[in-house]
Amino acid sequence: MGADRWPDFRHSDLVAGYVTAHDPVRGVTDLRTSDDRAVRMTCSPDVSAEFLRNLGDPYRDASGRLPQLLVPGRHVLARGVVTPTGGTYTFEAHRLVFPTDVEGRYAFEEGGWWTRQLRELARFYRRAQFGTGPVDFADYRTVLRLGGDKGGNHVQETDTISRLVYGMASAYLLTGDEDLLDVAERGTDYLREHARFADRDHDLVYWYHGLDVRDGSESKLFASEFGDDHLAIPAYEQIYALTGPTQTYRVTGDPRVLDDVDATLRLFSRFFHDDVRGGWYSHVDPVTLSPHAESLGRNRSRKNWNSVGDHAPAYLFNILLATGDRRHAAMLEECFDLIVRHFPEEGSPFVQERFFGDWSPDRAWGWQQDRAVVGHNLKIAWNLTRMNALRPKASYRALADRIGRTMPALAGDGQRGGWFDVVDRTLAEGETHHRLVWHDRKAWWQQEQGVLAYLALAGNTGDEFFLRQARESEAFYNAFFLDHDEGGVYFNVLADGTPYLLGTERLKGSHSMSLYHAAELCLLAAVYDRLLVRGEPLELWFRPRPDAFADRVLRVAPDVLPPGRVRLDQVEVDGSPYRAFDPGAMTVALPDSEKDLTVRVRLLPG
Amino acid sequence: MRIERSTRGTVLVVALRGELDGAVASEVHDELDGLVAGGGGGVALDLGGMTYVSSAGLRFLLLVHHHARRRGVRLALAGVRPDVHEVMAATGFIDAFVVADSVDDAVEALVR
Repeated sequence: MGADRWPDFRHSDLVAGYVTAHDPVRGVTDLRTSDDRAVRMTCSPDVSAEFLRNLGDPYRDASGRLPQLLVPGRHVLARGVVTPTGGTYTFEAHRLVFPTDVEGRYAFEEGGWWTRQLRELARFYRRAQFGTGPVDFADYRTVLRLGGDKGGNHVQETDTISRLVYGMASAYLLTGDEDLLDVAERGTDYLREHARFADRDHDLVYWYHGLDVRDGSESKLFASEFGDDHLAIPAYEQIYALTGPTQTYRVTGDPRVLDDVDATLRLFSRFFHDDVRGGWYSHVDPVTLSPHAESLGRNRSRKNWNSVGDHAPAYLFNILLATGDRRHAAMLEECFDLIVRHFPEEGSPFVQERFFGDWSPDRAWGWQQDRAVVGHNLKIAWNLTRMNALRPKASYRALADRIGRTMPALAGDGQRGGWFDVVDRTLAEGETHHRLVWHDRKAWWQQEQGVLAYLALAGNTGDEFFLRQARESEAFYNAFFLDHDEGGVYFNVLADGTPYLLGTERLKGSHSMSLYHAAELCLLAAVYDRLLVRGEPLELWFRPRPDAFADRVLRVAPDVLPPGRVRLDQVEVDGSPYRAFDPGAMTVALPDSEKDLTVRVRLLPG
Repeated sequence: MRIERSTRGTVLVVALRGELDGAVASEVHDELDGLVAGGGGGVALDLGGMTYVSSAGLRFLLLVHHHARRRGVRLALAGVRPDVHEVMAATGFIDAFVVADSVDDAVEALVR
């Protein structure tokens, strides 16, 4: 790389690349970055080298293994100092992180990586919210500080409870740890009892924004308290209120939860849905439940990514997995047909995210303007890939493939790894890069979308390009987002992977963060990587109640996967082998029981 | 729907008479919101004369409660009829409010 490719001043930086040559005598290592640039690296005399480690793992020094690690083809993340020198530069590394072992095997592809990570994450939140004693959601708080301790804020946001519940139920699916399922079930009950508004006039349910439990009393926060949605009922919040209970339903089959999901779907259908032009409005008025009320201001008669697309990952795929109900498959199809019809636009590689009621683009809304959230593009590629496995369509495959192939160069950090946050959707005249709107930070949830998009694409297509993107995304996330000191994951890191710990970005339980994305990543990375990419078995746990599932059929498919790629191999009920199951459909005919059953299943590729 | 206003010491008593549904809520929103905003000594909402409340009416009352809370105005419900109380309880709504049997009890609760 020429000096013109790096600014002519001294600074620290990160290079993630593959070794192309190493000269131990001169102490020089040549790297090639993901975006195919050459970087020459020297190692400082006091360089530290480590193997990638998981949450809960000790530091694993690699300094003595550099001759075996700095070999051609090996992936390394090197942090060092850039110094301009005589028209060129030097890059002297001080810290090296190797995502592979000396044989070149990625650490996160080792069998239990994601399961162990999810167990550690779940235990962090369990301890932070409830200590080591009984779980009481009266003690739950949305605001958790960096180390997991609670401050003086007394708000319990419905969606952050739901997201925590999702994470706990997912942790049970992977680990079978009943203490974590207990958190999920108690959280689901708490949401039903405290955050649910059962509307008898219309026979539907909606969910409060949250609760204020100051001074031992409970105040309902009915309409949203967030600036984007103030004093409205946003579809986004109703969608994510279902996230945790739905994932718990997959495990337990609690029929009350299914009633709530159905009643909330009636809310979406009757008040958010546009029966004429399709799609769901983003907000309704809290009194009239109309999406067209003047009181909604800039959110009046609008549709957006969240109201149209977020149904799918937040609860709709998961309720379909649990029920096999065609109504849910049809709603998913409507979501994705709308996305492929309205979201792509000639003139930008990024999707459009906000619309007026007639689907014309809204490019003046609030902070979004004509900007792209990188993670939304990746999320669309991921979920289109899932949808294509359910109901294959060329339009789904084409858009997922297009996003998957274009995003790395446009929204990924080809030198350091990881995914940026928000970019301008179009280039101004003379520009070659889409501008980063506010900063070059990288948010944890957008890294999750990158990992899952590319693992799903790789697993469904076998394309090596997608697999490389997945691995690079996994390497960056696991190297820089895991908080080995306090537990949990960081909200944001700087471009070079340094944690960004200011303001609300220090917090660990906040809106959208509370164990949803990090848990979803662990669960589905394990599913895609083991079953689709590497062809290894996967075990899952379920705990159906005596009244679970009207047909007493437990559906154990771990995600919507391409037909025929995964089968159910073994089932144990309460520790004993059980044979009443359908390998291809991945269903278990549950025996009648007067108590909860513990069901362990083993899934195999092919 | 009629709205009647009186005071008991520092407490503002607002009596709602008739049926409260979504359409009525839209009509009386500004008036009731304005009254609550001025009720710095606490507001007792007398629902003894309210013969019907729809779910939209309940949501409206929640918004009134929300506005009061943000302004630091204490709010109590008085004289909630059993059928209305039952609807409020079924929706999980009743817990949001201080509920008193009578206006006198509500005033006492607010000045306590």
